[in-house]
Amino acid sequence: MPNMREIRERIASIQQILKITNAMYLMSSSKLKKARKSLDSTEPYFYKLQETIESVLEHTPHTKQLFFDRRSDIPEDKRKKGYIVITADKGLCGSYNHNILKYAEQTLNETADLSNCYLFVMGQVGRMYFQRRSRNENKASVDSEFLYTTQNPTLYRAMEIAELVIEKFKARELDEVYLLYTDMVTSNVQETRTLRLLPFERRHFGKAADGTIKKLPKASFSPSPEEVMDYLIPQYAKGIIYGAMVEAFCCEQQSRMTAMDAATTSAKDMIKDLSLMYNRARQAAITQEITEVCGGANGLKED
Amino acid sequence: MAKTFKLEIIATDRIFFQGETEHLVITAIDGLMGIMAGHEPLVTVLPTGELKYMVDGQWKYAAISEGFIQVQPDRAVILADSCELPEEIDIKRAEEAKQRAEEALRQKQSIVEYYQTQAALNRAMNRLKVSQKHFK
Repeated sequence: MPNMREIRERIASIQQILKITNAMYLMSSSKLKKARKSLDSTEPYFYKLQETIESVLEHTPHTKQLFFDRRSDIPEDKRKKGYIVITADKGLCGSYNHNILKYAEQTLNETADLSNCYLFVMGQVGRMYFQRRSRNENKASVDSEFLYTTQNPTLYRAMEIAELVIEKFKARELDEVYLLYTDMVTSNVQETRTLRLLPFERRHFGKAADGTIKKLPKASFSPSPEEVMDYLIPQYAKGIIYGAMVEAFCCEQQSRMTAMDAATTSAKDMIKDLSLMYNRARQAAITQEITEVCGGANGLKED
Repeated sequence: MAKTFKLEIIATDRIFFQGETEHLVITAIDGLMGIMAGHEPLVTVLPTGELKYMVDGQWKYAAISEGFIQVQPDRAVILADSCELPEEIDIKRAEEAKQRAEEALRQKQSIVEYYQTQAALNRAMNRLKVSQKHFK
């Protein structure tokens, strides 16, 4: 039978933790509300942007534009790949960080040569994780100057990131750029995703509704396709990064809320079990005392 | 009534406008450009500037910052960083942003910072211009 004092101490400590998890639950739920609002207002833009760019690209004439250059002269194992990974700044959000990190790891492992991979990690947790890993073996290098938080995404931050990767792409420090983030499918379903940012793929043939391939008419570009693309692609990168940041932030808050809710519930369960155990122990102690007193009294009587 | 086409103006923070329009005038890089129904397919970029569109014979104005437009004969899509009606513009905030940018331009800056400040100044001035022109 466990000691009564031990049980009491445990209950007290669980109650302390319960207070913390409950407070975190409330905090994340109010943050989630805010994140949801910004997600709802950004989502139309995010999806429309992808859709429009796709249809613009279908109508783009052949250009010698830099952002379309697939650099196919560089062999697969020499290609420098950049990955922007969006994680959380803090832990305690269930499997959110774990999922995106595992996913990133998996994606990295599929590439030919890890030493040609460059990671741009947003969020403290992911940065720590990859930095720790990059130290021991032949692993992808992490840009330690890339310090961006994932809290409250802003368009300005997205712009800085977009400029950074585009700059690196132009300078041939990167040949391909991918964006890894968590997408909010519904409020309960989250999915890790990869989006290719650069280089762009152009398709000359679109599929018609009946599945036959039709040649798409070319749209005119003013003043010239090159100039439009010079402007459009940074704009697109910025929009996509911003959208992904908003999605990821919303997912993070959602996961934290769920995790903290679960923690609160299980803390309550534990307190219930422990108080039952405590009452039993107390009862047992009382019963024992009575037995002892009775035993003692009986002993006296017989004398 | 004139023939209309579908116009969608989507900013990063909201759907600004969605509906039938008779006439749309945008500020492109090299000047104003009018778009009506049946326009040839066109893609162009929109720098920070002013925009107007006609709904039921009424011109509507908006301040827009950095975006692009895709035009097809029966519809047009504008995607922009931000888009505001003249009456929605916070003059005080724009004024402050303008002063801040001007202040920053006087300091020594890197090229990137210089461009960013210039863009910020541009946005602030555009907001002020549109709001002064159409909302008093």
